Amino acid sequence: MFSDNPGSAENNSRIDVEARQVKSFQDIMFGLQKYWSNYGCVIMQPYDTEVGAGTSHYVTTLKALGDDYWDVAFVQPCRRPKDGRYAENPNRTQYYFQYQVILKPAPVNPQELYLKSLEAIGFDLSEHEIRFVEDDWENPSLGAAGVGWEIWCDGMEITQYTYFQQVGGIQCSVPPVEITYGLERIATFIQNVETHFDINWNGRTDERKLTYGDVLKRFEREFSCYNFDVASVNILLSHFNDYEKECNKLLAHNLVMPAYEQCVKANHCFNLLDARGVISVTERAGYIARVRALAKACCSAWLKSLQEERNDNE
Amino acid sequence: MNKELLIELFTEDIPARLHKKAIADAKELFARILSEYNADYETVNSFISPRRLSIRVTGLAEVTRPISEIKRGPKVEASEQALNGFLRSNNKTKDDLKERDGYYYLNIKNPGQEITSLLGDIIEDFITRMPWKKSMHWYLENEKTLSSYWIRPIRSIICIYNDKPVEIYIKSLGLFSGNTTYGHRFLSNKKITVNDFEDYENKLNENKVILDFEKKKSYIENELSQQSASMGLIVKSDKGLLNEVSGLVEYPFMYIGNIDEKFMSLPMEVLSTSMRVHQKYFTLTYPDSNIAPFFATVTNVPVTKTMKMGFDRVLRARLSDAMFFYKEDTDVTLEAYANRLSNVVFHEKLGSISQKIDRMMSIANSPEEHRVIALCKADLVSQMVGEFPELQGIMGSIYASVQGEVPEVCEAISDHYKPMGANDSLPKTFLGARISFFDKLDTLVGFLGVGIKPTGSKDPFALRRATVSIIRLVLDLPHNILEDEFTWYIDTLVTAYSDQGIALSSTVKDDVITFLKDRLTVYISEICSIDFELCNQIINNCDFSNSSLQNIKNEVTKADEITKTPSFEIIKGAYKRTSGIIGDFSPSSENCEYTGDNEYMKKLCEGLTNFDNSFENIVKISNLVLEACDSVLINNPDKIIKNKNFTLLKKYIDVVEQVFNPVLLNM
Repeated sequence: MFSDNPGSAENNSRIDVEARQVKSFQDIMFGLQKYWSNYGCVIMQPYDTEVGAGTSHYVTTLKALGDDYWDVAFVQPCRRPKDGRYAENPNRTQYYFQYQVILKPAPVNPQELYLKSLEAIGFDLSEHEIRFVEDDWENPSLGAAGVGWEIWCDGMEITQYTYFQQVGGIQCSVPPVEITYGLERIATFIQNVETHFDINWNGRTDERKLTYGDVLKRFEREFSCYNFDVASVNILLSHFNDYEKECNKLLAHNLVMPAYEQCVKANHCFNLLDARGVISVTERAGYIARVRALAKACCSAWLKSLQEERNDNE
Repeated sequence: MNKELLIELFTEDIPARLHKKAIADAKELFARILSEYNADYETVNSFISPRRLSIRVTGLAEVTRPISEIKRGPKVEASEQALNGFLRSNNKTKDDLKERDGYYYLNIKNPGQEITSLLGDIIEDFITRMPWKKSMHWYLENEKTLSSYWIRPIRSIICIYNDKPVEIYIKSLGLFSGNTTYGHRFLSNKKITVNDFEDYENKLNENKVILDFEKKKSYIENELSQQSASMGLIVKSDKGLLNEVSGLVEYPFMYIGNIDEKFMSLPMEVLSTSMRVHQKYFTLTYPDSNIAPFFATVTNVPVTKTMKMGFDRVLRARLSDAMFFYKEDTDVTLEAYANRLSNVVFHEKLGSISQKIDRMMSIANSPEEHRVIALCKADLVSQMVGEFPELQGIMGSIYASVQGEVPEVCEAISDHYKPMGANDSLPKTFLGARISFFDKLDTLVGFLGVGIKPTGSKDPFALRRATVSIIRLVLDLPHNILEDEFTWYIDTLVTAYSDQGIALSSTVKDDVITFLKDRLTVYISEICSIDFELCNQIINNCDFSNSSLQNIKNEVTKADEITKTPSFEIIKGAYKRTSGIIGDFSPSSENCEYTGDNEYMKKLCEGLTNFDNSFENIVKISNLVLEACDSVLINNPDKIIKNKNFTLLKKYIDVVEQVFNPVLLNM
C-alpha cells in the first residue's frame, strides 16, 4: 500500500529539472501579477517608503479594517536591517522581495487559489511536496495577529499564509486572508539554483544574462555596512522622535494616511537602531510599544473615519 | 450501519501538534452533548487527519429518552424576576405552575424527540464548545456574518444517520451537511460519496487518506525503523516529532537523505535540534549512539528526485547557519559572553541575569561552584541559543569543554537547569544539583519577594515548577545537597537582593516557606499516595526553621502509617472523648496519683503510671479510658472526685499528644 521508499523513489522522477526552460525572476513576478489580476485583484505598486513586510503597506494594514470588499496584490521590496550579511550569506539579505495578496473577506477556497498560483508560475505540483505547517503570525509593532501556516515546498518555507484576526489591536470585522510569497525562495526552486544571488533575473542565458547578484549584491553589501556599522545613531534617534511627534500631530488633524506613513517610518528607524546594536533588551520592548501605540492610534482613527463616512451617507 | 451516526467536519489543515488532544477532546465532548440531549448510544469515537475531524457514534437511539420529572422552582414569595427566569428556562408559562409547601413546581414532560431533528443543534453545540487552544473565525458571505470559532475554516460537512444522509443547514458555518468529502489533497483530490462509517474509512483509504491517527503513527514508526535498520542505523526516539509528523500527512511516505560530511563536525545536539526544529527530520544514529550522516523525513506524497534535492538543499542551508553560529560562538570565550549578561533582563523588578549570578555566588561555597555560576548563563547570549532556545545549558556545556574547562564544570553547566519540574530527570552531578538549587531558590525568593505569585492556572514564570524542582533536589538525590539550614539560604539571598538595592517584601521568608509547604504537600501526597488533607495538616504544622524537608517527609509518612492502622481509631476516639469532657481543664498538680476508689479509674491510673510509648500500650490505655468513660460519672457533682478524674484524664491526653501529632488526633 505504501508504494514509495528511498530505494524505489529514485525511478520516480518524471521531469528532468535541468532541462526545464529558464523562467526568470521577473517572469515569476509577472506570472503572479497576471494570475491575481485575472482573479480580480487590484494590482497595487509597492509602498514607496521602507517597510519590513508587505503587511505594513497601508493597503494591507488600514484596508484590513472595515467591512468593505478589498482584493489587492503587489510586489513589495522589504527591508530588515538586522538580516543583512554583507552579501556573504547566500540566502539571507536585508533587502528582499515579497509578493503580497490580500483577499477581504477571505473567499471559500484560498488554499486552492494559492496552489493554482504556484502552477501558474511554473511549479509542477506532482514534482514537489507542498505542506501547510502551522504558524500563527504576529506583528507586535502593528498590533496585528492571525492564524495560519507557513507553506513548505520540499522542506523550505516559501509562503506565509494568514487569516488576519486583529490589526492595530482591533478585531477584524471581516477577516481577510493574507498570502505572502517569498519571491527569492520560489525562484530558487523554479530555477533550481542554490543561492539567491544566482537567480536569473532577466531570463537571458547568454552573456547578457543578469543575476540577482548582479542587480543587488553591491546594494546588499553597502546597506549591510550602513545598517550595522555606519548609520548615525543620534540622527536616527532624533528621526524616530520626530516621526512619532509628526504622527501624533497628523492624527490631531485627522490625516490618517499621512500619520500612518510616519508610523511606518518610525518603525524603520527603530529597525535600523536595533541593527546598530544600540538598543538594549529593555529599551527594545519600549520602542516596540511606542510604535504599536502609533499604529493603534492610526488604525482606530481609520476605523472611526470609516464609520463617520458611513453615517454621513445614511 | 444501523443506528450509526457519522459526522465529518472537513477543514483546512489542522495544526499537527493538536491532533492527539483533539481526538480525545472531541470524543469526550460529543459524548457529553449526547447525554445532555438524553440521546442513548453505545459508543462514541473521533478521528482526525490534517483536513478533517470525524465522529462516529454507534447504537444511537432514533428517539431520545422521554423525560418526566417534577421540578422545584423559587419560593412563592420570591421575586417576579426569579419566577420568570424559572419559567423561561423550562419553556413554560404561569399556567403550568403548581404550588405546594410554599414553593412553585413544574411538571416537566419531554416525550422524546427524533434524533435527526436534534442533530443540527448537536452539531452547533459541538462546534461552539470544542476546546481548541487558539481558534479563529471567518466571514460567511451567505450569512453576512462571522462564523463560529474553529481551528481553521470548515469547508464541508458530512452527516449520515442510519445509512441515510441528513441534510441540515448549520447556520454558524453557513453550510449544508451532506454525504460527500474529498480524498488526499495531492494524490486523489476528488469528491467522494459515502454511505456509512465503514464505507467512509475504506473510501478514504482508497483515496490515500488514513483516518486512524494511531494506525498511521505506528506505520510511520515501524517503517522508519525498518528502513533505518536496513542501513544499520537506529532512529533517535522522538515521540513529540513522531506525533507531529503523523499529524502533517494524510498518507505517509518516507525518505532517508544525507547530511553533508562537512557538517558532521557540529555537536550532535546542534545537528539534531536544527533538523528537528526547522525541518522536522529525524536523527539517525549508529548502534553505538553516535550520530550518522543521514536524516529521515516523512512526506505526504511519494518522494521524487526533485524533492530529494530540495530536502538535502534546505538542510545544507540550515546547517550552514548552525555552522556559522557555532564558529562565531567558539571565537568568543564564555567569560566574554557572561559579561554581556548585564544587558539581559532577568525580570524588570529583579534586575539583570548578571545580578542573579552575583546573588547565586553569595550562597555558593567552593571555587568549582563559583566557576560554574560564573559561566552557566553565558550561553544565553550565544548565537546558537538565540536560534535554538532549547539548547540553553547544553551549548554552555559544549562551549565550556571547547575552552578547556574541567569536565565536572562542563557537566554542571548543562545539569543546572535540571530537573524541569516533577517528571524531568535529576542532575547527574552533585555540583550541578547545588547550582540548580541556588538558581531556582533565587528565582522563587525574588518573585515572591516582589509579590508575583501564580494565580489559578496562570504561572507565567513557572514558579510552581521551580519549587517542585527545589523539593526534588533536596528530597530525591542520594546525597544531601544542603550544607546549611534551608532557611539560611533564603536569608542570605534576601540580603543579597537588598545589597543590590532590590527591596523585597518584609514577609518574603514566610511567603517562600508557605509556598514551599503548599508545593511540598501536593508533591508528597502525589508521590507517596498519601491523603492530601493529612499531608496538608502535618506540613502546615511543621516548624520549618527547625526541620529539614526530609524530616517533614518522614513525619508525613509516619503519620500516614499511623492513621492507616485500624486500632488508631480507638486512640482517636478515646482522645476526642476525653478532651470533650475535660475541655481546657488544667490540673493543680502534675501528680497523677489517683487516690479515689473507683476500680476503673484505679486501673487507668496504674496503666498511666507504668506507661511506655509503644503503640499497643497506648491502645490498651485508650481502651481503659473508654471503659472508664462508659462506666464512671467523670463529671461528678462532687468537686473533689471530679477534680481527681479530670487530673487523670488530662494526664492521658498529655501522654497521647506526646506520642502523636495532635493534628492526627483531631482529624
